[in-house]
Amino acid sequence: MSRALANRFTPYMFMAPAVVIMAMALIYPLGYMIWGSFRAWNPSQSIGEAEFVGLKNYVTLWKDPNFHESLGVTLKFAFFVVSFEMIIGVGLALLLDRNIRGMSVLRTMFILPMMIAPVVVGLMWRYMYHPTVGTFNRLLNDWGLPKIDWLGQHALNSIIIADIWQWTPFIFILSLAALQSLPSSALEAAKIDGATSWQQIIHIKIPLMMPVLIVTCLLRLIDAFKVLEVILVMTQGGPGLSTEILALRISRTATEFRELGVAAAMSNYLLLLLLALTVGMFLFTRLQEVRAARIRAAIDEDL
Amino acid sequence: MAKKYEKQNPAFYVLIAILVFMSIGPVLLMLVNSFKLDVDILSGTSGLLFLPTIQNYETALCDVLWYEPEHLDFCQLKFGGAFVNSLIIALVSTALTLVIGCMAAYALVRFRFMGRDTVSLTTLMVRMVPPAVLLVPVFGLWNNEFCLDKNGLIGGLIRDTLGGRGDVCLAGTHSGIILVYVAMNLPFVIWILQSFIVQVPRSLEEAARVDGAGPFQVFFKIVLPLIKPGLAAAAIFTFRIAWNEYLLASALSDRDTKTVPILIVNNMSEFNVEWGVIMATGMLLAIPPIIFTLFASRQIITGMTAGAVKG
Amino acid sequence: MHTLLKSTAVGLTAAAVTAGAALAGPYDAHKGTTLVVNFPAHPHYDAVMKILPEFTKETGIEVEVDQLPYLKMRERQTLELAQDEGDYDLIAYVVFSKADYVYADQLENLAKYFMNPKLANPAYDSADLIDGYVYNIGFAGGDRGYLSGATGSLFGMPYGSETSVLGYRKDIFEKHGLEVPQNYDELLALACQIPELEPGMGGLASRAASGHHAAHAFLLHLNPLGGAIFDESWEPVVNNAAGVKAAEALKTIVDCGAEGSVNFGFGEALGSFLNGDTAMFLDTTIVAGQVDNPDKSKVVGNVGWALHPMGTKRASQTGGFGIGIPANAENKDAAFLLMQWLTSKEGDKLVAMAGGNPSRFSTHADADVNAKFPHMATFGEALQYADPDWRPIIPVWGKINADLGTTLSKVLTEDLDIQEALDGVAARARTVMDEAGYYTWNE
Repeated sequence: MSRALANRFTPYMFMAPAVVIMAMALIYPLGYMIWGSFRAWNPSQSIGEAEFVGLKNYVTLWKDPNFHESLGVTLKFAFFVVSFEMIIGVGLALLLDRNIRGMSVLRTMFILPMMIAPVVVGLMWRYMYHPTVGTFNRLLNDWGLPKIDWLGQHALNSIIIADIWQWTPFIFILSLAALQSLPSSALEAAKIDGATSWQQIIHIKIPLMMPVLIVTCLLRLIDAFKVLEVILVMTQGGPGLSTEILALRISRTATEFRELGVAAAMSNYLLLLLLALTVGMFLFTRLQEVRAARIRAAIDEDL
Repeated sequence: MAKKYEKQNPAFYVLIAILVFMSIGPVLLMLVNSFKLDVDILSGTSGLLFLPTIQNYETALCDVLWYEPEHLDFCQLKFGGAFVNSLIIALVSTALTLVIGCMAAYALVRFRFMGRDTVSLTTLMVRMVPPAVLLVPVFGLWNNEFCLDKNGLIGGLIRDTLGGRGDVCLAGTHSGIILVYVAMNLPFVIWILQSFIVQVPRSLEEAARVDGAGPFQVFFKIVLPLIKPGLAAAAIFTFRIAWNEYLLASALSDRDTKTVPILIVNNMSEFNVEWGVIMATGMLLAIPPIIFTLFASRQIITGMTAGAVKG
Repeated sequence: MHTLLKSTAVGLTAAAVTAGAALAGPYDAHKGTTLVVNFPAHPHYDAVMKILPEFTKETGIEVEVDQLPYLKMRERQTLELAQDEGDYDLIAYVVFSKADYVYADQLENLAKYFMNPKLANPAYDSADLIDGYVYNIGFAGGDRGYLSGATGSLFGMPYGSETSVLGYRKDIFEKHGLEVPQNYDELLALACQIPELEPGMGGLASRAASGHHAAHAFLLHLNPLGGAIFDESWEPVVNNAAGVKAAEALKTIVDCGAEGSVNFGFGEALGSFLNGDTAMFLDTTIVAGQVDNPDKSKVVGNVGWALHPMGTKRASQTGGFGIGIPANAENKDAAFLLMQWLTSKEGDKLVAMAGGNPSRFSTHADADVNAKFPHMATFGEALQYADPDWRPIIPVWGKINADLGTTLSKVLTEDLDIQEALDGVAARARTVMDEAGYYTWNE
């Protein structure tokens, strides 16, 4: 009898610590923040003491050109970063999907950029982009070419490059793993039918890899909105606001301008945006899954 | 399937070489620069002909050195202390996240209980939240609400034993930061471990239960040993995030609980950009992740691909 | 006999104890205390770190320092000062924080410490303190809230204060027969002439990075050219002709500056000058210490100093840091003793010899200091023209400053039209001032 009782409570006992911690440090703060976004809130006050201002924070942001610029920068950054990383990562995976000696050593070296702290990545690139003593400009100088103002005029491009450096390995490893788990039967069949490697790629490999690619793309997209430390160290959001992505703007509004209510409202906008993107990708995944299932079924029929 | 090593086009090898160079290049650059004096770095004597010096490391580690380096007037960077803080926070949060996470993952996979789908969905959704968004409320809560009055029972006890001033709040303590890290990492760890637990055959568990084992025993003695690779992967990822994280740590730490990333960013002061010392501290921070990469790359890749690639 | 001996012994002991008590130094009561202080990572405070062991030796009070980059220091302080009980006993505050902290009642009013005979040093000689600095950095509640005036009181002491000065490369000037610029027209002409005379070299190194840096650089030119941010009734006039001229001057300087100068923070601008990439440097006096340091500078011995060029008047910067006692500090008396020691004649000379910025007229004129740092004489002269109203130190300044800086950075990088940009700043500043209540008496 007690055994059965214990069994009934077991799942709850297993789940309890996780639920408690996530509730305390994730759910409650998020709720707090949503509630706080309707107030004029200062870091030294607890919410009860903050004055209720209704939708004022949201309206202020909606009309704020700085917010629009920051939003634009964020979307641009996320779009370019994810697109380039996907293209380069998948491309490299397709190219390097061969049996060569030392592949595991290579993979080890490719993972390195991902493991380094974003702060340190920012440091390294800031040095390399330095207008006078940085590696790139010194090289350009040596080759007689004009120096480029990396962190000035081309700040956004420079941080995109730095992020590509850090995260393409992620896409690459995942795509490679997906490629290596494809059913070889399908590829054999295609080769026998005389398909060129290009056709193989487009009609077989990529569609079959799609589920993985979608998940990877989604993961990377979500993470692209979280990038902050690299930008903080390299440009601090400058020049002007040209590299101030929303996450950075939120943290600045909170710590520098000390307007937690406005920061909270901005956070809510960001979360809504992320939610919209996630749901969008989710629906897209469904479509692709249906399509991939259809292809698999067709292949199975033929064999 | 036998592994045949096919011969490749030389261009292929060139491509590989370029890729390797691009991946490791910046790190090597940092390593080399950390052994150069500022004057050398700024003047642009690139290349490998320079006199290596450990001055930068001496400056960085000045509070754990047993001797006084002569080039230093006073010890400014307290790297030793920060290192210890980082280590404590990273290790404890990794351990906690693993224990709590795998218990939760097990429950989600094996049991049907009320609220299971809600929890599962929440876990996924919470992954979307950027740390910057979490910063705002955590900053307010840790400083003002999650506090024990210093005149109260527990609060008074803490003040008497540990000293310090004011109400006992979560901000500025190791536990405060650890709590946030555990909460941030749980979704990811649960997600990874779920895909590993799913692969443990139910028959083993059934057999154990028939033999009279209780659910906890089944979990600890049967399931856990079988998902060791998953645990390793999850551990590495959690440690990496806790070790490298800057934003929340800088908002929630005070003088005594500074971690290494905070030290590095604070050191990039306006007036005196000491590249050599900055590179040295960067290298020191990067050492554990580099070690993990070299010795545990397989686990890392397993962790990444779990759940994303089915089968 | 016994009783006689005993009473003599007792009497002698009593006498010794009383004598001891009478001779008790001002620091004895606080021996063994540890003060926790918050300083910025700034060359002046690096010099202070070097002389703190002297303080501990003399007084027995230990000092634990938390050094942070100064903008981070400000963020940390705003949090710490708002608590009921703070960690810091003494803080160094950025000058424009004076308004925030005093307004929020977070700094101790120093009157009662100077009134306490056990703490106040009669040999302090407050007339020797540079008054421009005292009023700009330590005094609050006077005219317009932040200037000197009969209604104000002292909340902090200037420490690490600086004014602006022009540094130039004597060798380059000699080589091309150039004259040291006395006014802004000459300065701007030279700034663009030098890159043509010396290919690859910038004219004037200036801060320009988005935010605080660009705003600071702009203000450097605004006052000498006769402009101001606000007029007497707090209406923004930053977009008047003088303001536009100042912004144009900044743009000219940055355009003719070294590579990448549009992104220079203070450190990079200084680095450019120290590396020999730029011929002139117009910014704070703190740089003097680094110019002659062979570890950091390649232009040792080649730098001359001149006054900040004249526009319609001479008005150099007043800025830097001050030290104050937080209202929620634990060891306020001991903190006051530290503050007094640091800004005393002896302390000021010590820090000047170690490379810091003196806060007293006497230190600038001191023979030893001048022997070690010959530029001190020029700096002493520059102090006469230090303008205490160089920047409005009001609680909402931080926001206006950030907006000004970001807008100016856009002017520099995106070629925004100057008049339009300044009009925008003026309009937004007006909204901020209106919300803060500065026009309440105008109606």
